[in-house]
Amino acid sequence: MTNISTHTMVATQGLTKQYGSVSALDGVDLTVPGGTIYALLGPNGAGKTTTINILTTLAQPSAGSAQVAGFDVVRQPDEVRKRIGVTFQDLVLDPDLTGRQVLDIHGRLYRQPTSLRRQRIDELVALVQLNDAIDRLVKTYSGGMKRRLELARGLMTDPQVVFLDEPTQGLDPQNRATIWDYVRMLRRERGLTLLLTTHYMEEAEALADTVGIIDGGRKVAEGTPSALVAALGADRIRISGSGDASHLLSELRALPFVDSVTPFERGLEVGVDSGSRRIAEVVASASGNGFTVEDVSVLRPSLGDVFLQYTGRALRD
Amino acid sequence: MNATITIWSKHMTKFFRNREELGGLLLQPILWVVLFGVGMGALVRNVDGSDYMSFMLPGVLALTALGGAVGGGMALLDERLRGILKEYLAAPIPRLSILMGNAASTVTKALFQATIILVVGALMGAHITGNPLGWVALVVLLAMFTIGFAGIALAFAARSKSIMGYHGLIFLFNLPLLFASNALYPLVNMPGWIKAIALANPTTYLIDALRGLTFGGTASIALPISFAVTTLFAALGMALALWSFRRTIR
Repeated sequence: MTNISTHTMVATQGLTKQYGSVSALDGVDLTVPGGTIYALLGPNGAGKTTTINILTTLAQPSAGSAQVAGFDVVRQPDEVRKRIGVTFQDLVLDPDLTGRQVLDIHGRLYRQPTSLRRQRIDELVALVQLNDAIDRLVKTYSGGMKRRLELARGLMTDPQVVFLDEPTQGLDPQNRATIWDYVRMLRRERGLTLLLTTHYMEEAEALADTVGIIDGGRKVAEGTPSALVAALGADRIRISGSGDASHLLSELRALPFVDSVTPFERGLEVGVDSGSRRIAEVVASASGNGFTVEDVSVLRPSLGDVFLQYTGRALRD
Repeated sequence: MNATITIWSKHMTKFFRNREELGGLLLQPILWVVLFGVGMGALVRNVDGSDYMSFMLPGVLALTALGGAVGGGMALLDERLRGILKEYLAAPIPRLSILMGNAASTVTKALFQATIILVVGALMGAHITGNPLGWVALVVLLAMFTIGFAGIALAFAARSKSIMGYHGLIFLFNLPLLFASNALYPLVNMPGWIKAIALANPTTYLIDALRGLTFGGTASIALPISFAVTTLFAALGMALALWSFRRTIR
């Protein structure tokens, strides 16, 4: 690899997209260094697909600018198109073609010579393990096979940057894990830059070097998954039991190391600076005030909590 | 050009694989020629000095081309609604080549159908010219006409939100183009106002030129004008399609 891997491969400045009076994207800045995986995490309607559409030249921004592989998506769309691979959110495969025809037609659109197409198809079919199915009609494929075929198509033209819009939506855990393996492998062995969108927390956590949390068309947080979690700082101690928790609640709130106390159905959730260090003190304050503790657990924050923190909402699958 | 050929060959592959479409497309013109030709032929022996079968065939060719163009628009609409279009749009190919690929497969299918119509028509007694130039003229005129109407169909298909909506719109165009022309009755016998409408209709020029060049009749409009009108119609149709398509994908 040359210094390509250190270049910025995807960048946006103040990216904005308006559909009529509705603002789908509202000033998003992104920087994705070469050879890394960036995950845009957000609920449906957050602006993820709009971002992908602009970066893959399918839509034009209302304001702001974007570059992919060093080319401007509005002024040099063909240069961008030559260098990217895309899989879209919906399966966009022709059901009446065979897998091999899907890949071959794709290569022909990009003017790949016959010998190169044949070679690429052999490689990719082996990679995504569609050997037995590649000459069957796509309509006979399972959902997981279709996703793998789409991934192969996205890689057919040896792109520098690959965009994956919700790459595992609707897949069972096993197929999801397979796709994750491919994605990691592509970054590791080919130095590809990948930008994916997802509304699965685990997916962002499992794959991304950098996660951007996007909500209502704005980027609300960005960082490595671990840094984002660490920035939350606190652990939570979950006390469940029976009895009247109101005294315990006010007592805990008075403690200096407690950030927050949130009641739930069967007890309280206590935000503290460090769960393992404070657990004894928290449990101790629960004795003799009308509440009987039955279970205590320390919860490390997850990316889900990060999301909740920044958007005020839980992210549901 | 490369992308146009690729998309054309993809459509043809799908076409030959789809037995329903293939069968319907081949059977439909036969039914037209046989049923309409026999029924009307029994009523009308002679129009403008030619037998009714020879008089009617250009109209059947035009009708079939219109049907083919509607089908071509359907193919684009289907690819658009399924999202398959995104594969083309993200590829480094001219937007026009996507439309041209679609129009090219539409024309190919229309020419298949034309061949069947001519064979069945000849079997049923139509007088078809032996002059190869008459055949070339037929191919050129029919291709231009099909491209023009395919352009209109593509323009609708690029904007329609549903298959139902597309069909509703397209039939507003389809039948009037046929009936307000010289397809079923000769231009000379028309009342003035229908004649005016017919002369604004490119279908009239296709049919008139075909009668003169391929079916042993006499053309009532100068041939260069008919060629110019059908060619212009093709160009305008595709321009309309491209304009509509560009607006959709913005």
